[in-house]
Amino acid sequence: MDVETFIRQLFDRAASEGFEACEADLRMEESFTVGVREGEISDYSVSSSQGLGFRGLVNGKMGYASTQVFDDEAVSLLVTGAKENASLIENADTQFIYQGDEAYPQVDIYNSAVDALTSSEKIELAKSLEKACLSIDPRVTRCQQVQLMTESSSRRLVNTRGLDVAYRGNTIGVYASVLAHEGADVTRGSSFALLRDPAQLDIEHVAREAVEEAIHYLQASQVSSGEYPVVLRYDVASALLNTFSEIFSADAAQKGMSLYKGREGEAIAAPCVSIVDDPLNPESPDAAPFDGEGVATRRTDLVKDGVLKTLMHNLRTAGKQGVCTTANASKRSYDSPVGVGARGMYVVPGAESLDQLLKRCGQGVFITDVQGLHSGANQISGDFSLGAKGFTIENGAIGRPLSQITVAGNFYQLLRSVKAVGNELKFGFSRVASPDLLIDSLSIAGK
Amino acid sequence: MLVKNSAERALSAAVATGGDFAEIFYEDTKSSSLTMINDQTENATISRAHGAGIRVYKGFQSVYVHTNDTTEQGLIRAAAQAASAIGNETVAADIRLTGSIAANIHPIKIMPMDVSGQKRACVCHSATASAQSVSSDIRQVRVLLMGKESDITIANPDGLFIGDTRVYTRLSVTALASNGSENQTGSSNPGAMMGFELFDTRVDVDKAARDAAKTAVTMLNAEPCRGGVMPVVIDNGFGGVIFHEACGHSLEATSVAIGMSEFSGRLGQKIASEKVTAIDDGTIPNEWGSLNIDDEGTPTTRLVLIENGVLKNYMIDRLNGRRMGMPVTGSARRQDYTFAPTSRMRNTFIAAGTDEESEIISTAGDALYAKKMGGGSVNPATGEFNFAVQEGYIIRAGQIDRPVRGATLVGKGSEILLKIDRVGRDMKMAQGMCGSRSGSIPTNVGQPMIRVTDITVGGR
Repeated sequence: MDVETFIRQLFDRAASEGFEACEADLRMEESFTVGVREGEISDYSVSSSQGLGFRGLVNGKMGYASTQVFDDEAVSLLVTGAKENASLIENADTQFIYQGDEAYPQVDIYNSAVDALTSSEKIELAKSLEKACLSIDPRVTRCQQVQLMTESSSRRLVNTRGLDVAYRGNTIGVYASVLAHEGADVTRGSSFALLRDPAQLDIEHVAREAVEEAIHYLQASQVSSGEYPVVLRYDVASALLNTFSEIFSADAAQKGMSLYKGREGEAIAAPCVSIVDDPLNPESPDAAPFDGEGVATRRTDLVKDGVLKTLMHNLRTAGKQGVCTTANASKRSYDSPVGVGARGMYVVPGAESLDQLLKRCGQGVFITDVQGLHSGANQISGDFSLGAKGFTIENGAIGRPLSQITVAGNFYQLLRSVKAVGNELKFGFSRVASPDLLIDSLSIAGK
Repeated sequence: MLVKNSAERALSAAVATGGDFAEIFYEDTKSSSLTMINDQTENATISRAHGAGIRVYKGFQSVYVHTNDTTEQGLIRAAAQAASAIGNETVAADIRLTGSIAANIHPIKIMPMDVSGQKRACVCHSATASAQSVSSDIRQVRVLLMGKESDITIANPDGLFIGDTRVYTRLSVTALASNGSENQTGSSNPGAMMGFELFDTRVDVDKAARDAAKTAVTMLNAEPCRGGVMPVVIDNGFGGVIFHEACGHSLEATSVAIGMSEFSGRLGQKIASEKVTAIDDGTIPNEWGSLNIDDEGTPTTRLVLIENGVLKNYMIDRLNGRRMGMPVTGSARRQDYTFAPTSRMRNTFIAAGTDEESEIISTAGDALYAKKMGGGSVNPATGEFNFAVQEGYIIRAGQIDRPVRGATLVGKGSEILLKIDRVGRDMKMAQGMCGSRSGSIPTNVGQPMIRVTDITVGGR
């Protein structure tokens, strides 16, 4: 049946089953990916998907259920499933279905030029990226993976308390990873770009970044184990902050999973560190006019000059703490429950360029890649120990390449030991970004 | 349900422009999950995923289109979309399919979706109690119980039209120990291709929960691991993740076929210490990484990857098999219908050896003992891997000395394999989710205790 009919039947059925209020989260997504290898298409996929997440309040408890099929059976599954699930909930927190705000911000996240690109134009772009990668340096003779993807999605949140809001957005992205050979040594470099406007896609630049990264690591070696002053390149700093972004979640704090519980108003980072969540920034892939509960989004200062201003809240965590929501309700997919998460978190840029940071560092290690964030980082303790690559910093400039080293530290301590924040901010595939960071000291293990 | 006549018409449409092979993967999956934090049910969900993916091949090229619309029109539309991307000829095809059901080697007793929420909550309550009983330092226990029933049908122009049902149950317990200023966690994640009988036959909930809590408490009292190069003893069970990351991924045709693996072109050569025999086996009844048929409809197999150090086989899917000129090994897997399949691991382990566990430690000198491993990752092209040690100990002069936390192992797979100088007798497997190009899939890792002569250990 069509979506309107489905939602109407769903809400009617829920009301007759005793739901006090309920909500449907409808997502539609179209995506396209093409990969090329040696001038030929190596993979090509087109997808269209839809899903509906249902949640509702029965006796003050929230039950969830979801489906990708919109038929009579699905109405039953959602209502009876959510009702049983609600009956299991023992957490006593007050739950909310939101009636909506007066006004919602405009967020510039849809560009008709993305949807207007034809398949053959996209294939040509991907081919040109591979070609560009292979024409920069003779040591790069193969690409590991070259892909172009576009994604167009829409979201509608509608509930029985009068909320009915929607938005759509799209992105275009390219990714290249290349292999460089010199003697028996093989290294890999990669680069990507994710954009709202295809006109800003700079294929040459992406290719150059990937190639330079690969050739820079040729003949890389280890460094002696020890404590070093470190410059984290922007992408590494962003990946670390992304991994640990949950420590700024009030949900995590209230559950004892963040050491920032009750620390609002205290200095938790170096004075040069300010952290903001700005869901209105179109450069974040998660930019949106409303959050996972339908609350109008806005910019929030999380850390200002080193002082923790607030944690990120949704309606439930805010209600529990007697504060206002920061519109950070997350709902990653139609079938996920409401949680708390960043939508456009970033470290506010400072004044110094990368060269200046390296100069200030003097002798140290420049980390340009980390591996193992899903396994080597403990979001609860803040401890991380990661495989890494990079360069020595010698006399304030980039020295020899390093690989098979590890970098270890504690993220809570890292925020306190930031000595300077770089002046350039780049959002990538992530909803979290940071400029380059100069860190007082981290443990590096090598030989 | 996928109707045979509709599949025939959709496949005909898929090859109508010159494609030389096509495949439909249809899926209808129901799943439930229950999350409990500190003995309170926080969240319970039920969901139904439904859709089909159509893949068309032409030589070494392939196109994949997926949709939620599994009506005949929807399938034909998706097939035509794929066909138009792969060629522009006009070919008439008359495809006839013969229906069959995959022979089931994984008997299921209690279907997970038939189990009441109360019963599921009961398992989570008892896990919580067990974990909390370990120490007063345990401040939080998070329990997740997941159940899944997936009905799939695969059809291709060879006449294949085969159905299967895959059933999974898994418990995850994460315990958090805290002394106020520091937090440490330990986890235990047992699961199987089984229904709710998992908890009557295979998984001792009490023991699993206690194990998670003990790791957290031990690590709370551990000092940070000091980095450097040293011998490493890796215990059985999840320790097998070292082989999974350092070698297994590089033996998948996904990277071998395009020469992007450090083991490309090395069949018949010695790639590991002669103590190493490694196997990838999808046929073990009810194991987490087992299958009846793979995601291209090929019956699953038991495959010897390495025998006494010599490379014997790669794991091969249909498309990469074409590239390599080699037969498939029943290794094609995907997370769900939204992914095109590729060659992946199933239950992958280093087979039991002959060394005495006590001797492995007593002759290690000064070393790291990795009792429980965390996850890791690898780049198959360069072989560089990294993984985390969840519970580690320092070995001093052949004696286990004291716990250390925050250790990471980094290195190159091809080098590590040759440096394995001990393989113990007691092989155990453990469950993991493996993420790669075709999504996140259940796989077992496994090994007996092994020793590597030297690895770079990260720490601080």
